[in-house]
Amino acid sequence: MINMQNIQKIYRTEHVETHALSGFNLNIGSGEFVSLMGPSGSGKTTLLNVAGLLDAFDGGSYILDGEDVSRLNDRQMSRIRNEKIGFIFQSFNLIPDLNVFDNVDVPLRYRGLAAGARRERIEEALEIVGLTSRISHYPAQLSGGQQQRVAVARAVVGTPKLILADEPTGNLDSAMANEIMDLLEKINDLGTTVVIVTHDPELATRSPRQIYLLDGRLVDLEKDERPAPLYNPVENGTADNGMSA
Amino acid sequence: MLAYQIRIAFKSLRRNPLQSGLLIAGVALGIAISTSFVTTYYMLSGDPIPEKSDRLFHVAVDSWDPDNGWDSDHPEYAPNQLTYTDVRGLMQSDLPTYQSAAFKAAMTVQPEAENEKPYREIVRMAFSDFFPMFNVPFQYGTGWSRSADEGPDPVVVIDAETNRKLFGGEDSVGRTLRLDNRDYTVVGVLDEWRPTIHFYDVNNNPFEEPEAIYLPFNFVEPLELQSSGNDSGWKFYAGNEFQDFLQSESVWLQLWVQLDDRRQQEEYKSFLDAYVMEQKKAGRFQRPLNNRIYPVMEWLEREEVTPDQAKVMLIIGALFLIVCSVNLIGILLGKFLARAPEVGVRRALGASRTSVFMQHLVECELIGALGGALGLGLSVLVLRVINRWFDNQFQFQLDLTMVLAATLLALAAGFIAGVYPSWRICRVAPATYLKIQ
Repeated sequence: MINMQNIQKIYRTEHVETHALSGFNLNIGSGEFVSLMGPSGSGKTTLLNVAGLLDAFDGGSYILDGEDVSRLNDRQMSRIRNEKIGFIFQSFNLIPDLNVFDNVDVPLRYRGLAAGARRERIEEALEIVGLTSRISHYPAQLSGGQQQRVAVARAVVGTPKLILADEPTGNLDSAMANEIMDLLEKINDLGTTVVIVTHDPELATRSPRQIYLLDGRLVDLEKDERPAPLYNPVENGTADNGMSA
Repeated sequence: MLAYQIRIAFKSLRRNPLQSGLLIAGVALGIAISTSFVTTYYMLSGDPIPEKSDRLFHVAVDSWDPDNGWDSDHPEYAPNQLTYTDVRGLMQSDLPTYQSAAFKAAMTVQPEAENEKPYREIVRMAFSDFFPMFNVPFQYGTGWSRSADEGPDPVVVIDAETNRKLFGGEDSVGRTLRLDNRDYTVVGVLDEWRPTIHFYDVNNNPFEEPEAIYLPFNFVEPLELQSSGNDSGWKFYAGNEFQDFLQSESVWLQLWVQLDDRRQQEEYKSFLDAYVMEQKKAGRFQRPLNNRIYPVMEWLEREEVTPDQAKVMLIIGALFLIVCSVNLIGILLGKFLARAPEVGVRRALGASRTSVFMQHLVECELIGALGGALGLGLSVLVLRVINRWFDNQFQFQLDLTMVLAATLLALAAGFIAGVYPSWRICRVAPATYLKIQ
């Protein structure tokens, strides 16, 4: 699903260059459920943005679902985001003056589907997240967990092949967080590739594969070989254990 | 997609009613001022008889002083009126479909009712062709016949207001109207007729109302009628009799002809040239041959009928709208950039830059349309003020053309104000805002 080779991502200011991703390689197969972990500033969100075609990269190649997306124009990237990728954000990012139905409808609008087809898909997506009874509610009338479930419905309504979730449980209590993870597992079981960024090791263990980032470089280990210091670098006093090279 | 974008735009406007109100009011103010001023200009410079203005011609022949032209700034101009001698000569032509010499005089109206006092009224002396040539509408009866011109028969046409005043608004055809101690039979009553421009005679006030009373031109000699409009002369004439004035080189009459096609126009020009050449042999017309027939709009342009104030108002109106639009750019930019996180979400969900640009431009056009609707309402009030400013000489009002023009102006204002903010918001990097919303 995701094949990145030697990706470079540099943030430049007038005097400083920051290499957010440097010589970065990543391969994630179709149908995988992957957790992305790492300390703050390690490049997790940058990676997610590059993977989701929300941010350009400075070098390397990126094959997404068999399609080279390294040199696409804005319209082509928008189409791929719309059709192949679903996003879930930490702060839900629902549009406050649209109700649940209309929020879930947003990606379908940009796909140009007919009203009947959109309604059918929206109802299906809300069925998956258990919010059909809240279809006319506005975000402010929903709890944090419910808002994130709406965001999940919005991510899956277009039946994307890839879900990218950036700390989807970061603003939720543990019960709600587990509900969201349940949902993501359910979606993954349907064949959708899921990549989540999380700081929560407990939640990360629910994915079969975890990826660790440090200083824009990848440490990719199977779950059983996971080194303890990288697991929670802050708690363990250092992020540098020599595994990032 | 457009319906969706309009819906989103409405929601966006409802989100901050005060700001939206300011934006709409800004456009409305610009539209109200510009539309009012453009309407003023449009009516003052518009075609007063569009259905045939290209077939109606004002006749000009250069009978002026051989040593000094009529207009030192425009040496190519012949005098703007004709002598009585030339009118008599030119009216002999049978080429025009219609033709009428005319001038305005003043006469005393003596009402039938004893308790009504006599009053002075402006009268237009004209030929019978005046009415069909200028499409003058009739409420009752018609104009007089060509044979009545020859008499001249004591017939009269009155306007609707005079008919209300003297005959209570009834069908007064056949009734008698007494003017300067002579009786005339009413043959026609005009319907409401108020060309914006008094185009057939722009000599004194080109925006005055049409005359109240119309009599056959040929009464000029038996009644010894003098013009109550302009007359100009360059040559002293001997004698003090009215006939001496009529035979003088004074210009005081207008002559209009209707020529329906190019052939007819060419033939009439040849006729004019032949007439003047004949007059030259008799010692008149010592200036170079300079005969012109002016279509209505060309004549109004030559006579500089549109007042300078109207042109200034047009420029002020346009500038006002531009200033309003430019001021809106800043407010819209702030409004749109505050919405960058939502745009980031939409971009993540598949909106292209183009669709983000279009969505915001639609919102600007919605502001323009709402402002335009409000502005049209306001412009009615502004036009009332302008009408008062001109002492109600005119009745400036919006017509369909101006409503359409105002709508287009409002959309243009929305576009001008919206392009840059829409472009800026569609260029924001979506990733920047997704974490912080």
